[in-house]
Amino acid sequence: MLELRGLSKRFPGVQALDGVSLSFAPGEIHALVGENGAGKSTLIKIVTGLCRPDAGEVLFGGRPLRFQSYHDSLAQGIDIVSQEIQVIPESTIAENIMLDKMITRGRTGIIDWPAVNRVARDYLDRVGLALPPDTIIKRLSAAHKQLVQIAKALASEARVLLLDEPTSSLTEHEARNLFGLLRGLRDKGATIIFVSHKFEEVLALCDRVSVLRDGHLVGTRRTSELTRAGLVTMMIGRDVIQAHLGRLGVDGGPEMLRVERVTRAGRIEEASFILRQGEILGFYGLVGAGRTELARILIGEDRPDAGAIYVRGDKADIRSVADGLERYRIGYVTENRKEEGLLLASPISTNVTIAVWPRLANRLTRFISRVKETRITRDMIRDLDIRATGPFQRTEDLSGGNQQKICISKWLAADCDILIVDEPTVGVDIGAKEQIHQLLWDLAKRRGKAIILISSDMPEIVRVASRILVFRDRRIAGEIDGVDDGTKTYAEVSAAIGRYLN
Amino acid sequence: MPATQMPSGPAARFLSSSADRAERLSGRTLGLIIATAILFAALALLSQSFLSAYTMFVVSRQTAFYVLVALAQAFVLVIGQMSLAVGAIGSITTIVLGLCLDTWGLPPALAVLIALGVGALAGWLNGTLITRLKIDSFIVTLSMMFIFMGLRSGISGGSPYKVPESFSFIGQKSLLGVPYVFLLVLALLGGVGYMYRNTVFGRRMLATGGNAAAARLSGISTDRMVVSAHVLSGVFAALAAVLWASKLGSAAPETGDDWLIISFAVAIIGGTGLNGGIISALGILMGSAIFMLIKHGLVEVKANPYYANSFLGLLILLAIVVDRVREIYSNKQKEK
Repeated sequence: MLELRGLSKRFPGVQALDGVSLSFAPGEIHALVGENGAGKSTLIKIVTGLCRPDAGEVLFGGRPLRFQSYHDSLAQGIDIVSQEIQVIPESTIAENIMLDKMITRGRTGIIDWPAVNRVARDYLDRVGLALPPDTIIKRLSAAHKQLVQIAKALASEARVLLLDEPTSSLTEHEARNLFGLLRGLRDKGATIIFVSHKFEEVLALCDRVSVLRDGHLVGTRRTSELTRAGLVTMMIGRDVIQAHLGRLGVDGGPEMLRVERVTRAGRIEEASFILRQGEILGFYGLVGAGRTELARILIGEDRPDAGAIYVRGDKADIRSVADGLERYRIGYVTENRKEEGLLLASPISTNVTIAVWPRLANRLTRFISRVKETRITRDMIRDLDIRATGPFQRTEDLSGGNQQKICISKWLAADCDILIVDEPTVGVDIGAKEQIHQLLWDLAKRRGKAIILISSDMPEIVRVASRILVFRDRRIAGEIDGVDDGTKTYAEVSAAIGRYLN
Repeated sequence: MPATQMPSGPAARFLSSSADRAERLSGRTLGLIIATAILFAALALLSQSFLSAYTMFVVSRQTAFYVLVALAQAFVLVIGQMSLAVGAIGSITTIVLGLCLDTWGLPPALAVLIALGVGALAGWLNGTLITRLKIDSFIVTLSMMFIFMGLRSGISGGSPYKVPESFSFIGQKSLLGVPYVFLLVLALLGGVGYMYRNTVFGRRMLATGGNAAAARLSGISTDRMVVSAHVLSGVFAALAAVLWASKLGSAAPETGDDWLIISFAVAIIGGTGLNGGIISALGILMGSAIFMLIKHGLVEVKANPYYANSFLGLLILLAIVVDRVREIYSNKQKEK
């Protein structure tokens, strides 16, 4: 159905794709996996006409395709559900789904809203989204927006459907529903290309999997012949140990943060916990369960309605992020680094030192020392193994994992001893993920930082945290101790988490 | 991806007053310098009187006013907002200056301080309304523009105020043929460029304009930056008004009526990013010079003055198109 022949694409300094040949058959779900920078995005861009290859061609039904634009690929019957949610926030669900095929009353150009809503309703039913089609998109949760995007792709009746990390914001139930839907499409003869970082999904859902590494195709296998470990090895070219990183052991350590019955209406209710020096406290739960909401109160971005916060034993009144940083040394690595974490157009040095400019400035003139700024940035690049051409490279040009390290380095430069890290490895490749886990563990173990790790990735939180709080429906539903002491297996901890979740 | 190394050395440092996006800025600023030089040479060839001391005096002084007005806008553009009240603040401070000097007979130095204070207060009011009520800068400054304009007309009744002879010194005299106003503005411009590049305050304003959420979550009080930017804008509008009164030898209520358009035009031609985060002091100087030279040139070639605004509109459009073409070109380069 869709065949790629010898695709090559070069960006300055990087061979993004190097002679990749691949074929996607009708009636199959074909996974595409690889680390960030392996060439997946470039490949998707070429197939959808967003970027032209230097060499090679794309055959569709035996005919070579010459895309001039994204619209051309749509016209050919190739549609994509992208990772970043692309919806029009102010319009209705039905408008978003039917945008390019609005039903009009004859040739008048006047939209027949009842008909549009009726058809949209149909697609919503298929993705299992029980909301009226005239709901305004911006009121929807991220997961529901994602489902609308999928409904839109269904409506396009595409013969080839590309899904780029479609489950990143979905609940397990929604994801299962989506998988059922995709299998149905496959059985009707559609080609589905499924890009994902989640191996369990890939192995459970897909028929075949193609692995890319450094712009090369490592190979294509049937998933029935492949184990998770085998897949990981193909991807990174070595085996990964998945055991806990090691005991942090801080039972009697000094108390850094104590939270008592903190409440903010509609966000978090009566949260209480203690965070000690040198430990990593995991916040596990679904998006919207109150984890990030509580974090935003702790850093001073939101104010609590009730409850008390103590920092190092003293009652704290954190008025703003600036205040939290200056008076209490609390740092927050945001959930979405591109929107809230980084000045993308600025050099690395700006992002590393942004929180410490006052310290780099001459006391009298308030001029920032370029020398100190450069030195700190170089140190961070070295210590955190950030892959960059130098301290002044544009932050935008770095990979997700390296950008994430810069987000963390900002708070290391600021010498924060309470660090809240929100979903640090979303969209990060497995090699960088490993490094970030090790980095967080080292910061707690060797530098005595008190860390809160917010994550929806169960293997990650069980592997890195020493204690886990489970959030459900805006409350702390339970606590699991001694995750790091080697007495509990992964299965035991994950079962305990599962009990609190239900 | 290519490494965007910061240019080094004093020359490059002056070319790129913005700490970030240095590469693109210096290219843009260089283009502006070349355009200014071409215009200047063309005018010198076209008109025999152009290089005369008198014309140079008038042209450089007028350019200085454009710089001040453009800076008043650029301070706010840098943090990702806009101010429609730049001219109105100039207007209201002119009235305050007139009241101080003419009606109450205060000493000039005190009158100037009060006028600048009023400018700062007006800017503070804009910034505070924007941050406290979380209203768009467009709406707040639009309302304030009308409020100030109304106050201006109501208080003055439309007639100008007299200013003492001694007050006109700075606006009308020169040092070795260079107007004091121009010298003052050059110094201020250098200070502003340095501030954005090298001081905590300036870098924080650039960061606020670059990505307000990221700046706030990195511990920058972005609200404070917004208020500060509007205060700076108000002070510079007031300063322009004071110098204008000094130049005219009277405090004329209609001062500032054409500043709104000029402030945007010159700031944009000078390469100030409309989405925040980018400013070039040298760019603004060149933008002002280009604006002035084209206005002057239209007079020289005896163009129908009724059409003058159309030419200036085309100039703004051209500046944006050139920038866009440059952007597309540099993206193409990247893809290769």
